[in-house]
Amino acid sequence: MTYRTASIIAYIVFFAVVLALPLVLNSFWTNRVAIYLVYSICAIGISMSWGYAGILSLGQGLFFGMGAYMLAMSLTLAVPENNPVPQLMLLNMEPNAVRDLCCVTTGSFLWIPFRSIAVGMIAGIVVPCVLAAGIGYVMFKRRTTGVYVSIITLAFALIGQLLIINNQPLTGGFNGLADLALLEIGGFEFDPYGPSAYYAVALTLIAVILLARYMLTGRIGQVLKAIREDEARARYLGYDVENYKLFIFCVSAGVAGLAGMLFTLTSEFATPSLMATSLSISMVIWAATGGRASLLGACIGALIVNFVGSLASESATFQPVWPIILGLLFVVVVLFMPNGIAGIFKAFIDRPGKAERLGGAKLAGKTERSDKAELLVKSELSAREA
Amino acid sequence: METFVIGLSIASILFMVALGLAIIYGTMNVINLAHGEMVMIGAYTTVLATKHLGLNIYLCLPLAFLVTATFGLIIERTVVRRLYGRLLDTLLATWGIALILQQLIRIHFGLGLFGIEIDGLGSDLQNVPVPAELQQAIQLFGANIPVYRAFVFVTALALGAITWLVMYKTRFGSQLRAVSVARNTAAACGINDKRVNMLAFAYGSGLAGIAGVLVSGFKTVSPDMGTPYVVDAFLVVVAGGVGHLLGTFASAGILGEVQSFVATWANDVYGRTVLFAVVIFILLFKPQGLFVTKSR
Amino acid sequence: MKNHDRRTFLKASGLTAIGLAAPSILRLGDKAWAADEIPVGIMYSLTGTTAIVEKSMNQCAQMAIDEINAKGGVLGRKLRAIVEDPASEPRIYSEKARKLTIEDQVPVIFGCYTTASRKAVLPVVERRKGLLVWPTWYEGEECSKNVLYAGSAVPNQQLENSLPWLQKSLGKNKVFIVGSDYAFPRGMAKTSKTICEKIGMQVVGDEYLPLGHTEWASMVSKIGSSGADVIFSNVVGDSIVAFYRELRNQGYDFDKLPLCASTTTEVEIKAMGPEYALGSYVSLPYFQTVDTPQNKVFVEAFKAYAGADAVTHAAMEAVYIGVNMWAMAAEKAGDLAPDAIVANAGGLSFDAPQGKVTIDPDNLHSYLTPRIGKTRADGLLDIVDQYAEPLVPLPYSSVGETADKRVCTTSGATL
Repeated sequence: MTYRTASIIAYIVFFAVVLALPLVLNSFWTNRVAIYLVYSICAIGISMSWGYAGILSLGQGLFFGMGAYMLAMSLTLAVPENNPVPQLMLLNMEPNAVRDLCCVTTGSFLWIPFRSIAVGMIAGIVVPCVLAAGIGYVMFKRRTTGVYVSIITLAFALIGQLLIINNQPLTGGFNGLADLALLEIGGFEFDPYGPSAYYAVALTLIAVILLARYMLTGRIGQVLKAIREDEARARYLGYDVENYKLFIFCVSAGVAGLAGMLFTLTSEFATPSLMATSLSISMVIWAATGGRASLLGACIGALIVNFVGSLASESATFQPVWPIILGLLFVVVVLFMPNGIAGIFKAFIDRPGKAERLGGAKLAGKTERSDKAELLVKSELSAREA
Repeated sequence: METFVIGLSIASILFMVALGLAIIYGTMNVINLAHGEMVMIGAYTTVLATKHLGLNIYLCLPLAFLVTATFGLIIERTVVRRLYGRLLDTLLATWGIALILQQLIRIHFGLGLFGIEIDGLGSDLQNVPVPAELQQAIQLFGANIPVYRAFVFVTALALGAITWLVMYKTRFGSQLRAVSVARNTAAACGINDKRVNMLAFAYGSGLAGIAGVLVSGFKTVSPDMGTPYVVDAFLVVVAGGVGHLLGTFASAGILGEVQSFVATWANDVYGRTVLFAVVIFILLFKPQGLFVTKSR
Repeated sequence: MKNHDRRTFLKASGLTAIGLAAPSILRLGDKAWAADEIPVGIMYSLTGTTAIVEKSMNQCAQMAIDEINAKGGVLGRKLRAIVEDPASEPRIYSEKARKLTIEDQVPVIFGCYTTASRKAVLPVVERRKGLLVWPTWYEGEECSKNVLYAGSAVPNQQLENSLPWLQKSLGKNKVFIVGSDYAFPRGMAKTSKTICEKIGMQVVGDEYLPLGHTEWASMVSKIGSSGADVIFSNVVGDSIVAFYRELRNQGYDFDKLPLCASTTTEVEIKAMGPEYALGSYVSLPYFQTVDTPQNKVFVEAFKAYAGADAVTHAAMEAVYIGVNMWAMAAEKAGDLAPDAIVANAGGLSFDAPQGKVTIDPDNLHSYLTPRIGKTRADGLLDIVDQYAEPLVPLPYSSVGETADKRVCTTSGATL
């Protein structure tokens, strides 16, 4: 069995399992798994930018949080008591302010478009994308690379979190937005504990995986990998490195924003702690555990880390040590499984004995290096075609 | 004037934490997110030493250096050593180490699981007694200057000077600089680069430990006290220019003053926002940092 | 070979994980609890930033449950605590509240310490018909019918006594209000301003720093130059320690510039070293030194439970009140259902360590006795002022709620 066939089978099995789960799960676990699948979408976003293009964003939480807030704003306004003006603003307004969304608190007019759920849903993807485009444009045009990108994105996330907390009359501050209506589209209500919200998440996840895979196995993916391996070389070959990076950075932010919206849908609140450094780093860990350069791997990584984490924290024996288990997991993954679960899967499929039989040069331990060589050849070939 | 003094004191803490990180990142190209936990361990060393050994805060300085340097050594030998050349991976692995260290303190190094508790550890807040002579303020040039802050400032300067001497006047220092500029060439010239790495990591961690002692004098000691430092310190390091002692010194000064002045003029939230913005600008427009070693 | 080992390991651990989880994951209908047991949720952070205080609240809740069980339980059934660790993260609070309410089907959760965590739990208990018993003093501005605010003070209960007292007894007229940057300190500041206006005190400053911020130098020098003659502090968490130490280090003296705090409890005073707080005031309904027979028993019981050097504090006493009043309401209702508890809690009184505590039937908050304490050298507080009678809770005092003109009633809040 080749790796390609094996991975296609793995995708199919995964999709089938995800789709079948609500049939056997109770409502609590349906909701919990749905939230974990939301985290999976985050991990896919990381995998796209980090695994494929080598851009490690430590500010992914910013985009995730933005997405969550956009939908949460719309759902806040959908609660009858929050009309015409959300209670959080009434509690924070100046004594004689006009009770209208235009000017009840400074900047409250920004909420006006969110009276429409559709605007909230579109903004949940578009706003993170635009924000990422702004940040990315400056970063990549200045040819900022590697760890500097990580630090800059991290700093932006910290700024975002500080500003949201500081502007309580506008954003709900530290407490976040919790008084939300259920999402209703065309009379259909998404119950966070029922199959409806679950399938909204699951189908989005599958769609994101398929689209991302379609995009990344194609030409764009090859160019991005070439950029990851050697940016200068890719540039000499005539690729517009900056625009490719900007593109994948924005897409990844959009995916995070989408995940954020689904978080609001399944968790029923938005909080500035979604933009905290620890969550952003956790997302990276999820992707790393599953396999940074594998969409499905990242996705499964998120599921496993969260699942193990909550089981450990809920068992009396493991409760005092579960942060240690989590910490050890990070260390072990980085030290011994640099390509994560997907790497192990691949090494298993491409067992040395079999590889020799096929006359291939791919030795299990050296996949990364041979990938690199293969890539360079491929990228040069495709460059010639172009 | 007072604002300036406050800025200096913010800067001196930043500098001490960043100095160790600068050496570790500059020489070894390792992003040590567990650096903040070294600050935390330094602070806990002070708590334990003052509680159980009756030491005062001055004697804790060298002790904390030794303890955290040992921790640094262990981390280098077990984990970081295997990750040279994988910059972003070091970031992830050391974050894991940070989680482990925090929890170890909370559960009394595991003894808590067996019902044994050490006074001074655990998830409670701890405090360190500060000698009376440091608990006052003096008037200087019309400004109210807290003695403790002055003490922190002087210690930071002294550590900076010692580190400069180590880096530029000792054999180890020249080896360290050689390794940081060209590892393979240095190794080919007979420098034991593994040993240099090990010692540099331990020394850098030790510096953070000293910062921990000083921080414990005016802040709470708790298992997660270190996390905020590492981000700030890292910003200082990259803004100052990697592997450049003077750059770290200057950027700690600038960022400390920026934060202090904006905080006084507006508030601390904007102080921090502007701080981050300044760093972002430096990284965008002088990605090598404010002070670049030209010889590279 | 190496790969093979790893795989077997992964497989084995995966199977174990599934094995552990399987019984609870699947749709097996209602959870089968022993018929003579009532599962109750306890959800205070054991890790993360607020663990310091919440750990003792967790202990106190378990102690209260043990006491109730020793007396025969509730409705003849023993309580069984299910303890969760939400790790000081609103995200995980929400997740654990779901587990407790839906998966474990507990009739009540004793939990939360910060408003942010309560807000994260609120959608779960409101939509899934659960009940949260909330302990901490907070900014009010909430009127949920799925939360029993037992023992939790709201701004009017901490400010109506303290601000006039600072003016009358200490002769101070210019107050600087300082706080952490979130809803509680802002809500407190709003109520303070209304009260100050009424009694003719001047608010010379009103400033906030982010939660967990420990660099207080700029703020302290701002207070110094503001001309304030008294500080009112709504600073929360480990920032408190840094704030008090900074005041001392910059040479301020609580005799000359008094400070009255709303959130500095025995825990924080112990943590900063009592000499730093010596002589500062705190306004809360409970201190370890409250002189009632119930409190003597309570303090002794807790020391026996948690260790001789443990201190008791207001948030913890509120947990104790919460557990006991929930049990009383359940006995009265003869039912565990949240709506039955809420319907029967109004008007109930409990002889708490702080004195008589009564639940207001309109807003489900508690009548509490306001007190002012002055920190002494051993880290406990001498009570320098206390009300003779419990004071009515007005959760919306920041927007002008009064005892006659309620904002929060049985039918909800009307702003």
